Amino acid sequence: MNIFGEINCFGICLRLSDFAPFVALLIVISIALLATSFMVKDPKHRLLTFVSAQVAVILAIIATFYLMECEGMLTIYLYLGYAAVSGALMFGITRYYDRLMIRRLNAKPAGSIIGWVQRFVDQLAAATVYYYDSAAPRAFAAGRSIFVSVGLLEALDDDELRAVLAHEAWHIRNNSRMPYLRQLALMTFSSHKSSELEIMADRFAAEIAGEEALSSARNKVDKVFN
Amino acid sequence: MVKLDQINISNNGLTKFFSPIEARILKTLWTEGEMMTSELTEKTSIPLTSIAGTLDRLVKAGYAVRRVDNVNGRVRYVYAPVYSEEEVASEITTKVLDSLVDAFGPLALLNFSKYSDKK
Repeated sequence: MNIFGEINCFGICLRLSDFAPFVALLIVISIALLATSFMVKDPKHRLLTFVSAQVAVILAIIATFYLMECEGMLTIYLYLGYAAVSGALMFGITRYYDRLMIRRLNAKPAGSIIGWVQRFVDQLAAATVYYYDSAAPRAFAAGRSIFVSVGLLEALDDDELRAVLAHEAWHIRNNSRMPYLRQLALMTFSSHKSSELEIMADRFAAEIAGEEALSSARNKVDKVFN
Repeated sequence: MVKLDQINISNNGLTKFFSPIEARILKTLWTEGEMMTSELTEKTSIPLTSIAGTLDRLVKAGYAVRRVDNVNGRVRYVYAPVYSEEEVASEITTKVLDSLVDAFGPLALLNFSKYSDKK
């Protein structure tokens, strides 16, 4: 069976099936949730409504496949294959991504050059802080590790560094949920809301290290990367 | 030792062979020897935002080395030049002469002797 024939078949089945109103309802719910997610102010609620919209889309996709009631459809196999491969990559790679980065950047534990950094992060998240050789001020989190460049340690004062570390520690605390967000986005052919995550991480950082330290740190780091 | 990827004959001085920021950093390192990043930004009056990437490049290309130093609990890079000004000058000269001889053969050599007679 060819793809275009199948797409045509989807259209016919949807029109004839008793399930059609159900699929339509799911799509309406998903669009409503999506619209709400753009209107909601709070980043956490915004993320929640966005994820709910994606879940509604997944349900609509499952319902559509279910009502097809025919065997050996190419699109179903393609979609399942896509979901399985992307899921394996998403959950497999994110777990080992920090090991990979440590080797690639030749990163070393930051505790060996600046003692308080690891003690500070230990209070916030179960993560190891690594530093790597680069003058460009940069910090990022992967798996259970936080990476900071020597340039970042040079450029920031202690309060600003605390703000950056708290921001990354928030990411570590929520990293175990990230593959689900990304996988959901892949399966619904949409994107995950990374800007909301950054806002939430910044809120946490401001709580821990103060708004002032956060914004002056952001100023120094952003200047290099815009 | 030196990797020259671009030569701009029409530029002035060292910027024939290096970018303006690279040239300023190298000159400063040759005069001052070891320097911290903050001293480099001060002496060259290039802001940190522009100097960071260039410093990474100079280290990667092998013109400068750096070590991580901890001064009063603050982490700092300390930079030093790998080659002296003379070493870099002689390497560049050799490379340029090599390429001239490669392109023009005996004709280039004839012009070198005319040139040195004139000087």
